[in-house]
Amino acid sequence: MSETLSLTGLAIRGPNRLLVENVSLSLAAGRVTALVGPSGSGKTLTARALLGLVGFKPGVISGTLEAGGAHLALTHATPQDYRPLRGKLLGYLPQGARASLDPLWTVERSVGASAALGSGPNDPSHWLRLSGFDDPEQVLRHFPHELSGGMAQRAALACALAGGSRFLIADEPTTGLDPTVQEGILRHLTRLKARGLGVLLITHDLRLLPELADEVLVMAAGRIEERVTPEALVAGALRSEAGVRLLEATRTIASGRLG
Amino acid sequence: MRIQGGSALLRALLARAGVLVAVLLGAVVLVVSLVHLAPGDALDAQGIPEALRPALEARWHLDLPVWQRVAIHLGEVLSGDLGTSLAYRPGTPVAEVILGPARRSAVWLFSALALTLTWGTALALYTAGRASAHRVALRTVSILPVFLLAHLSVNALNEGAFAAMNAGWIDRPDWFALPDQASALRTALAVVLLAVGSGGLTEVHAAMERAVTSARRSPWAEAALARGEPLAPHLWRHLLLALTDLSLHRVAFLIGGLVILEKVLLLHGVGFILWDAALHRDSPVVAGITLLAAAVLAVVRLAGDALRLTLDPRLRSDP
Amino acid sequence: MRWRSAAGLGAVILLAVVLAALLAPLSGYDLVTDVDPGRAHLGLSLAHPLGTDHLGRDVRWRLVFASRAFAGPGLLAAAVAGLLGTLGGALGGYRGGPLAGSARYLYAVIGSIPRFVLVLLVGSVYGDSPWVLALVVGLSYAPALGEALHSRVASLRRAEFVRAGRAYGLSDARILWVHLVWYASRALIGRHLLAVFGYYVVLESTLAYIGGFGVQEPMPSWGNMLVFEWGRGQWLALLAPAAALWLVVSATRWLADALEDPLDV
Repeated sequence: MSETLSLTGLAIRGPNRLLVENVSLSLAAGRVTALVGPSGSGKTLTARALLGLVGFKPGVISGTLEAGGAHLALTHATPQDYRPLRGKLLGYLPQGARASLDPLWTVERSVGASAALGSGPNDPSHWLRLSGFDDPEQVLRHFPHELSGGMAQRAALACALAGGSRFLIADEPTTGLDPTVQEGILRHLTRLKARGLGVLLITHDLRLLPELADEVLVMAAGRIEERVTPEALVAGALRSEAGVRLLEATRTIASGRLG
Repeated sequence: MRIQGGSALLRALLARAGVLVAVLLGAVVLVVSLVHLAPGDALDAQGIPEALRPALEARWHLDLPVWQRVAIHLGEVLSGDLGTSLAYRPGTPVAEVILGPARRSAVWLFSALALTLTWGTALALYTAGRASAHRVALRTVSILPVFLLAHLSVNALNEGAFAAMNAGWIDRPDWFALPDQASALRTALAVVLLAVGSGGLTEVHAAMERAVTSARRSPWAEAALARGEPLAPHLWRHLLLALTDLSLHRVAFLIGGLVILEKVLLLHGVGFILWDAALHRDSPVVAGITLLAAAVLAVVRLAGDALRLTLDPRLRSDP
Repeated sequence: MRWRSAAGLGAVILLAVVLAALLAPLSGYDLVTDVDPGRAHLGLSLAHPLGTDHLGRDVRWRLVFASRAFAGPGLLAAAVAGLLGTLGGALGGYRGGPLAGSARYLYAVIGSIPRFVLVLLVGSVYGDSPWVLALVVGLSYAPALGEALHSRVASLRRAEFVRAGRAYGLSDARILWVHLVWYASRALIGRHLLAVFGYYVVLESTLAYIGGFGVQEPMPSWGNMLVFEWGRGQWLALLAPAAALWLVVSATRWLADALEDPLDV
């Protein structure tokens, strides 16, 4: 259980400014690494760079990725280089789960197509069960527009895992869901973690972290400002300005006091 | 392909069929009324001798008030009787005049539709997401009206062949000179020009390019890419859906273009007859062809709806 | 920037065509109708910048006069389509109910007949006066505009900004005509109107080219100017009307492309 995936020195340049600067992070089996920060701080972009999905020029200007014994220079990686990575080693649960499912495909077909590429079981029900459906038969023949928010999230999770990934990027997995569903998703991620999945959890909601995360990276304006333990977070021991502001906002909302 | 909720599909399809039948009925009423509300009557236009008038008027109910004539004519059309030709081929039943040529025209029409859709899609798959001079060139040529494209290409072919014959390079080709000589070239030319002209190809290309781009940029395509899946199995369904929507628009447009090309290139299809019958003010024939065109359009729309409902589950779910 | 300049050029071309149609009669019709076989097939010269045709008539002036064949009726067709399509589409989309239902049914009935076939039917029964043809073309384009406007207004009717406007006390009429039609849909309407005008230009020259309907010799149309015995090396007489037609149809597209639709993605 010592498998790791580590990113070193990532920098991404947009058309007219640097968007991500010197970001390094590493994921390990059975650990949840949380990437927190305000909107626009570069969290999602970092995640997309891991999968070679930065779709603009000049894009990634430096950074290396080490995983599964392979060493990948992100600046001139080709789609072929990402083939062993995408879906098979690293699954991606994007923000907005419903939109990430093909609207013309049933859940069965979507999960099945992903499973067919991996070395695990080809049966979609297996992956749906793993993603928290007690009775997968219920959703197999449904289309994304027929699913509730929570169901869509779990179906998308099944797609992300079905390729046999041992790591998962979960981008804002609880945003836009109601609290009980949020709790269900969190509980489920905890279960997956216990089964040995390494997770990069992207969020701006610090309330999720104490129970789930093993390490918290605070990101602001494209840089990682500090790395803390969830315990430090709970104790309020954040030093960076961005982290303090995020923590204050979370406390204000949680306690219902505004102004 | 499995359809979840086959009964929902059937229900939606029946509803669409009902609407199309109602619309087609409306079209029949519109066409028949247009014919009968005209000032004067068909006999005025034909220069019939006065002595023959009463007998002919009685036969075609021209002595009755307009609304009764409309009612009688409607009854006839709805029972499948399109009447007899007045001037184009006097005395011949309209159905007999138009059905044979209509079959030929249908072949040309659907060949052109298939050509414009495949050509436009292939180009779109090639140009989508990249800068390309094809786009401007395509627009420049395709925007020309079909009659002008036909005129220019016929002149170019004839002049070219003429020059080559004079120079002794070739013998007189058997199609020379267009469009007077019946030839496969003339038909092929009509189909190709119909697929390209009057903005046809550039519109198909632009629409398909939009479809390809928006599909590739969609969150589901990106998620599939992130899972290492090939996009093609996803893409074809979305493109087929866009093509279905597009063909519903294009068919009506191509019918108009075909009438023009049949006339310019002297192809004996139903469009050729439509033009001549219209010139002869032979209203039964013109009305018959108009209704035939509306019926073809309705059938194509129904087929398109069936395909759309099959492909897109969002359309068949009850709101 | 490139599209901006193309759009400017398009506007200038369309304006020039309409002006030409208005001003051409001032110079007298004999300029384009007088036949003089002795001057047939003249090449380029100062007196005839575009040469003369097979009957010795000045190509430049025939080109200019031909704009009369479509400019007025084309504008009428656009006006008819704009009026019927906007009224039916906007009111139907905003209010819904049986009125909207019947408007859409009428649109569907008219739209169920291919446009060119409808034009021939009406031309055959009611005569081929340009004003009649313009009415039919306008009528046959009303469904496309009406349906597009209907769905846009119907989808915006429940938008947040409309609710907010109503909460501020704006009248329904003001919300519909000022906000939903003028601000949110003017580009949509403009594009349709340009398409109608472009279609009429093509229709007119097509009818005149094939002959029997529309403008007849000796009056010029870009369509009938193309009809003469081929094979005499008269490329200029062939290309001039063809180029004019291409230019005007392209102008409508350039201008339409430049209209910025706030709801385009």
